[in-house]
Amino acid sequence: MVVADSHSSDTGTILRVRGPLEFKCHLDSTDARLMHKVISRTFEMLQSQVKSESCVLIVCDSPVIVWPNRGVCATPEEITPNTLCEDIHQWIQLDKQEAAGKRSAKKKSKKSSAASIINLRLLMEATKTGPLSAPILSRTVQKSHFLSTTLPVDCVVRTTVNETIKDAFERLLEALTHQLCEMEKVTLQHMKGTTLLVPEPLHFLLPEPKGLVTVVYPAGVPDSQLETQRKELHQQLQLPDDWPYFRRANAYHFPNEPYKDGYLRNPHLVLTHPTLDNGKVYLVQGIYSYHHYMQDHMDDNGWGCAYRSLQTICSWFQQQGYVERAVPTHKEIQQALADVGDKPGSFVGSRQWIGSIEVQAVLNQLLGVTSKIMFVSQGSELASKGRELTNHFLTEGTPIMIGGGVLAHTILGVAWSETSGQIRYLILDPHYTGAEDSQVIADKGWCGWKGADFWDQTAYYNLCLPQRSKII
Amino acid sequence: MGRSYIVEEAVEGYLTKQCEQVGPVTGLLIGQSSTQREFVVTATRTPQREKKSAAAAGNSLDKEWVTEHARQVSRMLPGGLSVLGVFIVADTEAKDTVTTLRQLVFAVENLISSERLWNPADDDVTDSVALHVNPKTRKTFCRTFDVKDSKSVAKPADWKYQSGVCSSWITVSCCLSVDLLVPLPDNRTDTEDMDTCLKEGLKVWAHQLEGGVCLIDGKKLADDTELSGGQKRNVRQTYTAQLLITPEERRSTDVVQRCGGSVSVRGAIHSRAYLHSNKPKAKLAEKLLKRDAVSTVATRAQILLEELLTSQKDKHQREQFCLPRRVFCPVKGSGPVCVCDYRFSDEGLSEVTDRLKEMLDMDVAEKDLDTRQETPAEVLEADAAAEPTVETIEALEPKRNNYIGVAMATAVTLLATAVSMLYLNDV
Repeated sequence: MVVADSHSSDTGTILRVRGPLEFKCHLDSTDARLMHKVISRTFEMLQSQVKSESCVLIVCDSPVIVWPNRGVCATPEEITPNTLCEDIHQWIQLDKQEAAGKRSAKKKSKKSSAASIINLRLLMEATKTGPLSAPILSRTVQKSHFLSTTLPVDCVVRTTVNETIKDAFERLLEALTHQLCEMEKVTLQHMKGTTLLVPEPLHFLLPEPKGLVTVVYPAGVPDSQLETQRKELHQQLQLPDDWPYFRRANAYHFPNEPYKDGYLRNPHLVLTHPTLDNGKVYLVQGIYSYHHYMQDHMDDNGWGCAYRSLQTICSWFQQQGYVERAVPTHKEIQQALADVGDKPGSFVGSRQWIGSIEVQAVLNQLLGVTSKIMFVSQGSELASKGRELTNHFLTEGTPIMIGGGVLAHTILGVAWSETSGQIRYLILDPHYTGAEDSQVIADKGWCGWKGADFWDQTAYYNLCLPQRSKII
Repeated sequence: MGRSYIVEEAVEGYLTKQCEQVGPVTGLLIGQSSTQREFVVTATRTPQREKKSAAAAGNSLDKEWVTEHARQVSRMLPGGLSVLGVFIVADTEAKDTVTTLRQLVFAVENLISSERLWNPADDDVTDSVALHVNPKTRKTFCRTFDVKDSKSVAKPADWKYQSGVCSSWITVSCCLSVDLLVPLPDNRTDTEDMDTCLKEGLKVWAHQLEGGVCLIDGKKLADDTELSGGQKRNVRQTYTAQLLITPEERRSTDVVQRCGGSVSVRGAIHSRAYLHSNKPKAKLAEKLLKRDAVSTVATRAQILLEELLTSQKDKHQREQFCLPRRVFCPVKGSGPVCVCDYRFSDEGLSEVTDRLKEMLDMDVAEKDLDTRQETPAEVLEADAAAEPTVETIEALEPKRNNYIGVAMATAVTLLATAVSMLYLNDV
């Protein structure tokens, strides 16, 4: 069920091969045993195709083509089996970037550093060396079932520095044949009568040193019905059993695949952490998206900051796989508050502020998430909350919404020195009204580390600390 | 500006010969279209019909016969060659012949294009040629019609003879393995249903090929790369192609369907395309070769199914038929350019030469035929043994009408209704 990528490390290029494989067979019988036999035989045929000389891997957006089973021969001729994997990059043309025209050199260099993924397509060479025998047409007349689909093969291997194409492609091919085995298992395991579910591989990025892991799930089966499989995986990989790693929402998002919804993910990752004597940094865990003023064609400038902070929290719960619910809109948030009786019906559609207590109520109502409220009567007291906050990020790891007498913000982490008591806060500011440009957001401090003086020393604050449930 | 036809000199001689016949002679013009100009490689007259049907009696032309001839001929043309249009040798006023030629051109194009399983491209030429030769004055009148526009009118075109038109043409070829498996619908497993299902399956395959990657002599060439050296005369220019394909991703919910059986086509075919030497581009070579691959498989399946239709006997649970092999025959004086025929393994070479004579009016010796590109189909017992439920395995050659004229007549009868419909639309 699982392929752990043993060569994980931060360096090295990831090779990712994708390509549908045609899966077709004529099931002569409805007898389960015979059907299994035919399906297994079809998988065997695919295995032998992948291992055959016809198997071809094409590096996307490049002229590079490799025949892994023909002595790793490749075209163009500059590429030999001993070429290093990272040297493939120079053959890849980033058309889209060129088409975009004028772009700052800064951006370009950043892009290429992120492009440590080489995408490949799996194809089959249909031509052979002739002459060969002319075709045979055969007809079988028998009432039965016909099975026809494509298998979405998707494998990754992480190459090590100085690894040659020959070695890496050998491992890639092993991964391919292994994935077909997994697909066969999943297909047979989830077959009911003549209903068949397409096996679907997904990649998950586990904390180091485990790295990328590929799991095959039956398509269409909801996460709620796959808990047994997840338990097995957690055991097998010795993962804590109170944190979801293998829900579909946890699937790894490759750096070269832009998020389609347009929201920025984890903008704090580009920041440099502050260094405090004896201090440590405690951060939000997992992935959230940055919600701020003026998004979604919604003019909430001046009143929507707490809504946006709440949205950021909701996005965290969704992307960690705790809830399937989409991030709620302003109106949905207001409706939830009306539903629980916190606000009158006239509140829905208004432009009124909400505070930490409302955020807590909405999280409970819409997501079933409970939250702790921390109250400080003066902003100056926040400097002494280091222990509570670090504990929160260690055990819960969720973003914190902070509001009260003044503006609302999101706290994404703290840097805290237990000995000196020095503290810094990682703040995500929902009042930003500009474009989704992580560089601007970091440079101008819309996401940044702030000192204790960031808080209004005399105003009161309420912090909403969302608690995650201990599930997998 | 009208289109420009560069015509092989031998065609002039052939047409002159037709001028000596009694009564009007019709026939087909064969060659290659390109966006700049057209190359006419050869011409062939419509074969004589033994008995004339009632419709064809008298002076009027036997349009069904002409179009059926065109259909059969287009099956014998490898990639890069096609029926460009029709000619008529008739002692009539040129302007009176226009209507007749127009009807013929449209009918021929409609029938041939209905058999195509590949999708036309934007840069395909849609003009067909209609040539009128006056046997007395030996004057030629060349016109074209846009066959994609049912209202199109005749446009004058340039007709120019030249020697060695295709002496330095390029040949691109490959040996392609075919592996098709298609379901037959529940309760409908007759030969006609098999035909429909196979066509659907072939269309999917055609689409796969179309989207596939083509390598020429082991290299991925940019679309507008010129296949060089084409201008050198008498140097044989041959390229080997490789095709890399991938199925289309399907996110279907109906993974399993009920079926009445299945049909498969497995084996290898030799595919070939010829390219004119006027700055031939890699993209064109790829397009013509891929189309030939689809056509040659479709044609063989078609020939076999037509045979089965006329000689159907008891149906077994599982039957295997060897598809005919492709045989090539060089067109005299036309450099590397060949036409082809399909030969069942129980047929002799004389049957091939007979067909070449009848369909293309070519006098060919058996030794001229190139039979080496494909080896006879072999029924693989191993494959059959893998199917545990199969009771009857039969490798058979269908019983055939060996006299081609009879076969063509049968096909004409089958098609007559459809063809006359086309005429009604065209008039």
